[in-house]
Amino acid sequence: MRRLLFIALLLVGLPQTAPAQDVRLPLKDGSVRFAVIGDTGTGDSHQLAVASQLTAWRAKVPFDTVLMLGDNLYGSDKPKNYDKQFALPYKALLAGGVKFYAALGNHDNANQRLYTPFNMNGEKYYTFKQGGVRFFALDSNYVDDRQMDWLSKELAASGSDWKIAFFHHPLYSYGATHGSADLQREKLEPVFVKHGVNVVLAGHEHLYERIKPQKGIAYFTIGNSAKLRPGDLKPTALTARGWDSGYGFVLIEIAGDELFFQVISDKGQTVDAGSVRRVGTTPPTPASTTQPVQAGPAAPKQPQ
Amino acid sequence: MKVRLLVAVSVLASVLASACATGRATVAAPLGQSTARPGSTQAVAEQKAGGPVNASAAILQDFSARIAAYVAVHKKAAGDGAAIKESADATRIKDAQTGLTARIQTARATAKAGDIVTPEIRTAFRRLMYPELKGEDGRDARAVIKDDAPASVPLKVNAKYPDGAPLPTVPANLLINLPQLPKELEYRIINTHLILLDVDASLIVDYIPNAIQ
Repeated sequence: MRRLLFIALLLVGLPQTAPAQDVRLPLKDGSVRFAVIGDTGTGDSHQLAVASQLTAWRAKVPFDTVLMLGDNLYGSDKPKNYDKQFALPYKALLAGGVKFYAALGNHDNANQRLYTPFNMNGEKYYTFKQGGVRFFALDSNYVDDRQMDWLSKELAASGSDWKIAFFHHPLYSYGATHGSADLQREKLEPVFVKHGVNVVLAGHEHLYERIKPQKGIAYFTIGNSAKLRPGDLKPTALTARGWDSGYGFVLIEIAGDELFFQVISDKGQTVDAGSVRRVGTTPPTPASTTQPVQAGPAAPKQPQ
Repeated sequence: MKVRLLVAVSVLASVLASACATGRATVAAPLGQSTARPGSTQAVAEQKAGGPVNASAAILQDFSARIAAYVAVHKKAAGDGAAIKESADATRIKDAQTGLTARIQTARATAKAGDIVTPEIRTAFRRLMYPELKGEDGRDARAVIKDDAPASVPLKVNAKYPDGAPLPTVPANLLINLPQLPKELEYRIINTHLILLDVDASLIVDYIPNAIQ
């Protein structure tokens, strides 16, 4: 047990080096940068390996924000679980001042909203802003009218900001285990379209998938930051890029009307990269209510 | 909110009118409300007299009143001990939750199934959910319920929801048809059963067995 703990601490304390030439993000002055992880709360070696890469990549791609897409603590929510499955794996990032913003997954006790390192303000759904980007953390486990009313109101008030929604259940996914959350999509997508949400980030499926923009919205599934279902992805014509053979996370940079993304494996390799461009920056109006994104050129496929 | 209430009353009214007409459901007189079938001579007479409009509205009011009574218990229990509030210390959060759970369990030591979700409300809820369990959306809803189902949850009033058990996602199309709950409570579906769950205390407050048929 001591040996395991030592190895774990070693992994966290000695991040691997991210080769500078692998950085595919433009690192522009004044841009908004953040990382995205999903289905993380195992506390096992895979979570630690991804955490180590996160730490290493932060040295090359400075970011101060990490979005967590739910299933933050598997198994239990005892105090020791918060330590083993969150505080220890991300110790270096937390010490470096990185703020984590969590959404609730189906394995998460709602009282996680009270844990201040998750920055949920005591709420199951909430919003926050960084630069010209407005984030909306939703509770996709329980999409009731109260949440929908709140979401509509907050989106309407968000003006010309980039709008990024993140939550647990993917509205589009071709993972064989769960697939698309059709019922949530029926409720959320029309509101997203009406109010010009640009990007949606979700987990739940233990794989990575990027969907071709749907109704002007870019969709990413990142549920492989600690759990993996190899071979689970059954890509369709809507799948722009899928990866179900390794663990990883996503780095995102938003500069002006362009969002750049880079998907990194637990071995430090780039698995996917590219950009999406926001078309139009005017606030939504009744006549023109969407700010669609277009997929930019993706980076060449990397060896896995 | 008003629109939602009107829709719920309307749906309940039609459901219960149908049930009463076929004799499949007997609507008791909860909290001294009317037993008159909606549209019946008695109901019209009661309405003219300024009395209860119909049994469905009474059932909805009854449910709201029982929920409000529970929330009062919850709030009193919350106020009697360490508050559940934001903290960087997970132990403090857990201890506050454990205390709240214990105080509610004590305050409701004699609570039993049906205290909140009465037989009349159960019947109404089953009928409210039934249309959403048909067709493509119904298949999706059943798949979601099955997909996230925890291995074992005790179907018992005042029992703690098992620590670490996944919380099954509630199909959005079912939620929209049910009366909205205050923030302290949520509906959850465990296999075929609908439970009322206290969010902060992780307590099963009441349930409807075989709500999904």
